[in-house]
Amino acid sequence: MSIESFARSDAFTLGIELELQIVNRHDYDLAPGSADLLRLIGLRTLRADVKPEITSSMIELSTGICHDHAECLSQLIEVRDALVDCAARQNLRICGGGTHAFQDWSHRRIFDTPRFNQVSQLYGYLSKQFTVFGQHVHVGCSSPDDALWLLHALSRFMPLAIALSASSPFVQGADTGFHSARLNTVAAFPLSGRAPFVLTWSEFERYFDKMTRTGVVESMKDFYWDIRPKPEFGTIEVRVMDTPLSVSRAADIAAYLQCLARWLLLERPFQPDEDDYLVYSFNRFQACRFGLDGVHVDPQSAARVSIRERIAATLERLEPHARALGAEPGLAGILRVIRNEEPSDACWLREQQHAERFLPEVVRRQCLLFET
Amino acid sequence: MPDSMLFASLAIACAAALGELSWRFLGWPRPAAYAGVGLALGLAGADVAGTTPALRLALDGALALLLFESGARLNLRWLRRNPWLLATSLAEAAASATAVFLVAHAFGMATEVVAALAIIAMSVSPAVIQRVIGECRAAGQVAERLRTLSTLNTLYAVLAMQCLVAGLLLFDPQTWQATWPPLLFSFCASLLLGTTLGSALVAIARRMDLRSDSAVVLLLCFILCALLVARMLQLSTLLVPLIAGLWLRNRSDRPWIWPHQFGSAGAALTLVMFVATGASVSLQIGPAAIALAAAMLISRALAKSAAVAALARPSGIASNQGLALGATLLPMSATAWVLALDFSAAHPTAGLQLLPPVLAAIALIDVVAPIVMFHVLRRMGELGGEA
Repeated sequence: MSIESFARSDAFTLGIELELQIVNRHDYDLAPGSADLLRLIGLRTLRADVKPEITSSMIELSTGICHDHAECLSQLIEVRDALVDCAARQNLRICGGGTHAFQDWSHRRIFDTPRFNQVSQLYGYLSKQFTVFGQHVHVGCSSPDDALWLLHALSRFMPLAIALSASSPFVQGADTGFHSARLNTVAAFPLSGRAPFVLTWSEFERYFDKMTRTGVVESMKDFYWDIRPKPEFGTIEVRVMDTPLSVSRAADIAAYLQCLARWLLLERPFQPDEDDYLVYSFNRFQACRFGLDGVHVDPQSAARVSIRERIAATLERLEPHARALGAEPGLAGILRVIRNEEPSDACWLREQQHAERFLPEVVRRQCLLFET
Repeated sequence: MPDSMLFASLAIACAAALGELSWRFLGWPRPAAYAGVGLALGLAGADVAGTTPALRLALDGALALLLFESGARLNLRWLRRNPWLLATSLAEAAASATAVFLVAHAFGMATEVVAALAIIAMSVSPAVIQRVIGECRAAGQVAERLRTLSTLNTLYAVLAMQCLVAGLLLFDPQTWQATWPPLLFSFCASLLLGTTLGSALVAIARRMDLRSDSAVVLLLCFILCALLVARMLQLSTLLVPLIAGLWLRNRSDRPWIWPHQFGSAGAALTLVMFVATGASVSLQIGPAAIALAAAMLISRALAKSAAVAALARPSGIASNQGLALGATLLPMSATAWVLALDFSAAHPTAGLQLLPPVLAAIALIDVVAPIVMFHVLRRMGELGGEA
């Protein structure tokens, strides 16, 4: 099977997908409520879409095509309020966060669709362990070659996005010491990691054909790359982020990526290079492990600065693009986090656990934060 | 005495072993086997009377733990957010009480017995529901609502039974003046004791992790002490733990977690309760009582199912979930027995007429109900991974 053609989309349009946790109101463990929630949410008219995910304690919302931060935020708030209301009718609650703090993966149930059953059969217990929650951001690209160029140019900024969104310090009831432990789960999948270094769509089509001939993949959905092209939407999809604890932070991070994309594609400040990936795994690990205080190595100059400083440096360059895209409120939110005026999500979760020493109460507070 | 202790120990060991075997090889929940062993003992002439002080204490203790857990799962905020669920609860309780009232009346029972039977029929045993849901780690809307409806209808039944007992005495011109102060005291003191126990448990929970062994022991002791105080003051042993659980759950939104059934000690107590309830049935129950019990059970099941199915969609579940929920509202077990015993203690003459159909109903339904519940929950995809 050959890859579908790359659909046309307006450059720098945005789409956000958030995978969310469904928890019960008794002990705040994950609850298998997605089918019931989908039935109730299906009765409402919303601009955003709500879909099932691989296990029945997860639910995914996705905005329509948005042009700016304000539109993203208003769609996210609308669908969040609807979901929270439907959940309350079922004695359930919804929250963000990249992992559930204390769930037991073996208790999860696969959501019954042919695709999820097939994934479950192929990956075995990994599919239940895949009960982790990510934010995906689609950025519209006017041509497929632009999309692939942007995909590789953005790769050096992925640790920044990981650190900004990191919200998964707890796994299976324990503090992992990581800011984002979620990506360690994704790494277990054979087709995870980075996309092959090809900069034109024709080269990518050849790569895809070779892969499908091996029988290892059937469609783009089989690739769990950090950033992957999405030809049916005409976008690239950035998939490294944890789901933040609030929809406002999710919109801020999307606005930041939108500005980065505009800056990179319009100014072309550097040419992506295969050697960019020499430090990719190191930088990515630093972001997962230490969050904003991790080290970031520039692949060209080998200069080492903290991720926090690297983000601050990009924000200065992004200012004109933020003005052009109406993304200033989003970038202001990012600035507050890197200046420590607001805690990062992982730090906030640790603060709650430090005060309460009771993870179910931390999850309840996550729900409160998500709902407001 | 040593003989009876030996006999009881062997019976309990037998129930535990059979429970385990039926769970492993037949996939039946353990309470079905416990009730089955009890029933076999009763029919073999074990002659277990609920009035035996030691047995009643064990029964009350086990029920208190399970009712406390039920109360502590009842989130009143949910009823506020989903008033149709409260309407479902009121409708199924009222429908089953009315249906059983009409059936028992048609069988020519005395009015006070008919009223007591109607009240007892409202309650779906939270003991069985809690135990089966916990055992098979069921989770989903049917399991969640089953738990909520059984707690609510038990609460209605306990309150209605107190009113009935009080009402019958108050309507007697010779006793009413002497009767109302102690009855009022009993009701208010049950509420007070329940809320005090709940507050004490909140205080413990704020300082200790309730999942630790010492916190569980503390919790158990507090509940059992409150139970003993309730018995001493002749308060409702059903109402006090229910109120305590409700108070704990609804004072704040904070989660409280302790081991299901309070660990092994609680599990042993509930096993004794299921066996004893089954063993209370004897061969002396006549065919008339069995016929009435069968008619009551059928009308009760139909009434509950119809009410729940009718209000399924407004309350936010699909029609098939409504039917499943209705089909699982069957168990009677220990709550029905204790309600009947409490009524009989206040009205011994009417009690003689009340106990045979109640015991017959328990005999007919208690082995079947957990199995039906298990299979319905499985069909709805609500069982945990290994169940």
